[in-house]
Amino acid sequence: MSNINGKVYAMNAITPMKPWKSWVLRVIFFALGEFPALQQDLINLSFIEFARWVSVPRRKFPYLAHGQAKEDLRYDYLLFFSNFNGTWNQYIDAFSAVLASGLNLIWRWSEKFPGSMPVTLFKEYIARVQFDTDYYYTAYPHATANDLKSAHVVQASFESLSAQAGNYTPEEFAEAFLGFVLQVQAHLGETGEAPVVF
Amino acid sequence: MPNQNGSVYGLTILSPILDDEKASPSHDLQIRLYLSTLPTGANSPFAKSPGTHLCRLVVMDDVVYVGAPSIEEHLQSKYLVFECNLDATGEEGLEAYLRGLAEHMPDHLDAIWSHCVGYPGAADVQAFIRYMKACQVETTFFFAAVNNKSVTESLRALQTQRAVADFIASSQGMEASRLQAKFVEFAAKLKAEPLPKPGSMGPKRDIKSGGRNE
Repeated sequence: MSNINGKVYAMNAITPMKPWKSWVLRVIFFALGEFPALQQDLINLSFIEFARWVSVPRRKFPYLAHGQAKEDLRYDYLLFFSNFNGTWNQYIDAFSAVLASGLNLIWRWSEKFPGSMPVTLFKEYIARVQFDTDYYYTAYPHATANDLKSAHVVQASFESLSAQAGNYTPEEFAEAFLGFVLQVQAHLGETGEAPVVF
Repeated sequence: MPNQNGSVYGLTILSPILDDEKASPSHDLQIRLYLSTLPTGANSPFAKSPGTHLCRLVVMDDVVYVGAPSIEEHLQSKYLVFECNLDATGEEGLEAYLRGLAEHMPDHLDAIWSHCVGYPGAADVQAFIRYMKACQVETTFFFAAVNNKSVTESLRALQTQRAVADFIASSQGMEASRLQAKFVEFAAKLKAEPLPKPGSMGPKRDIKSGGRNE
């Protein structure tokens, strides 16, 4: 079992919701999807590589026959999967500090959700509903979400300069190269082994 | 479509695990034992199957009881959760990805999913795809920090970022015509370099900073 691979942490959580409340949540997620401006806080939390919420209605758990017993549930369930950089405590603290109202909007429909502030009760709740990852793979374990975003900035600038490099006079190239350095200098952070986490 | 964010697809699969009292160890434990031996780096089977950004496999034993006054209830089956962030557009893209899994890692798929109800095996690719789609649940909301780049493009960009940093450091104060010649040579060399293997940590370098992250 490992929730961690390189610089990324896999978090899984499941919370029960009364069926009528899960429809409210679906409307909220629909609005969030339709109006990307509402996702700005999530984007600003730039240590999340991928995250998803999956609302599973009580009668929609996969049923394949072959002797499988049908589920008989009273609640719908909200599954949450996140791939983030940093430690569990850093993540939950930042989530609570930056996204408090957004988190409340999503999880207030789950049973016994205490609210994302104060953070102590929020952490207790997340710890209770979290379950561990058995296998975790990432194609780029040495990179964070910010590394990836920066790398694509560097790649775009580099391709632009290298396409023109042969056509410039040396003086023109020196000027273009200086412009390139200015464009990418904030995006050259070191990737590699993650720091030791205690 | 909520499963899709740009060119990245958020696949969520819940496969019911066989419940057999006579099985020893139990099927869920056999899955966990196998997963604990599976490499997670460049030798991961998912590294050999194209298009996987990040993925996880999780045995979900039960739902969680959060305390009174909510009702305590339990699942009839344990589920194997496969959460995957992959390069694909639409259902055709998903099917191509699943076909890739069946072709590149059939033994691993069989070793894991043979403990699940109704699994047909990876040898029959169409049946495998049908099975995985029967176990799929729709993602309600999917967020991707970078949603318009493939795994290959991201690995290439990380390689470029590292090389460019070194080049800039080594070319400080260089005379213009020499700088231009060196850059053209550097760009051609970088373009010809093989792509870093998915799942690898990249070339070993001395860590210049860092330390304990409390």
